Amino acid sequence: MIRRRPSRLKYLLDGIILENPILILMIGLCPALATSLTARDGLGMGVAASFVIITSNIIISLIRKIVPDNVRIPVFIIIISTFVTIVDYTLQAYQPALYQALGVFVPLIVVNCIVLGRAEAFAYRHGVFDSFLDGLGKGLGFTLILFVMGTAREFLAGGTFFSKSVGIEFLQKNGILFMIFPPGGFLLIGLLKALVNKYVKLE
Amino acid sequence: MGDKKESPVRPLIVLGAVSVISAFLLTWVYISTSTKIEWQRGEAINSSLASVLPQAKRFEKIETVDVWVGYDGENKKVGIAFTCAPRGYGGPIGILCGVDLEKKVTGIRIASAAEGLKETPGLGAKVREADFRQQFIGKERDEIRLKSEGGKIAAITGATISSKAVTEAVREGITRYEEFLR
Repeated sequence: MIRRRPSRLKYLLDGIILENPILILMIGLCPALATSLTARDGLGMGVAASFVIITSNIIISLIRKIVPDNVRIPVFIIIISTFVTIVDYTLQAYQPALYQALGVFVPLIVVNCIVLGRAEAFAYRHGVFDSFLDGLGKGLGFTLILFVMGTAREFLAGGTFFSKSVGIEFLQKNGILFMIFPPGGFLLIGLLKALVNKYVKLE
Repeated sequence: MGDKKESPVRPLIVLGAVSVISAFLLTWVYISTSTKIEWQRGEAINSSLASVLPQAKRFEKIETVDVWVGYDGENKKVGIAFTCAPRGYGGPIGILCGVDLEKKVTGIRIASAAEGLKETPGLGAKVREADFRQQFIGKERDEIRLKSEGGKIAAITGATISSKAVTEAVREGITRYEEFLR
């Protein structure tokens, strides 16, 4: 690569704003809509997916020089699904309520475009530390949006935050139930995207 | 990367090695979490049972039906807990109901949406809320009917079907499993 090497901090920060997986790259939308019903679910899903992105990025970057090009995709998938299975067992053992709520979306992290996308586009071509930063950044960006959406949807639908009342009785009685249905998710993600389009200048 | 003369077996070796390492790692994770997972499942059942029949310290499952008999600290029978799943508005409503030896309801628990409840959020799903469930506590079998049918249970506004499904199922359940209360 002849291009000037970008600073390391950029790898980390890009994932949060300029290359936010959901709002800019527009990938990983399915889990973002389905698991952002409450702040807890959004945060839980974000952390679970981030763990997989970071660990698989590190391992893939570590072994990138010994993996032949023609089998790289199967190798990525094995590594990714290994970490997803670890997350799956761990959640079942230590966070059963969260595991119940996330349901099928935990195993589905295997096919989350962000994870394979980062493996192919970044970790396979960069060093371990850079890949770690990239994974961390993308994970944080994903988690941030899920958490914001979960918080907003939970609040608008029932006036709660992490299932605890925030003291707005009006919302508790007249919650906008629409927000916890799929259309509410679409609406919210559209509004966030509109905000981003207005305020974030892309090159 | 970049090697022009790739040996044809190298991809096989790499793929095989990655698979084997992954399998070993997962075996280890499975072994170290499986007892905890089992325990969590048992704990989930036990805490639900305890929530509907608080007097009981220990539960024993009846093998043929979904009934648990609860015993207190001195091993005396204090009541039963049974499950039923009547048809609600959107699908089956999973109910766990505790009954003491006087055939009075001690508590009911209703499955959440994550556990498969299909009732409409904000309407039918309100059967899960304490306001509705508390009404059953201390009631005898014949009082467990909707007020419109001469009983003592107030239906949820706009969710008569779900309210009725729960009420009827609890009453029928008490009749059906009466024998275990003796």
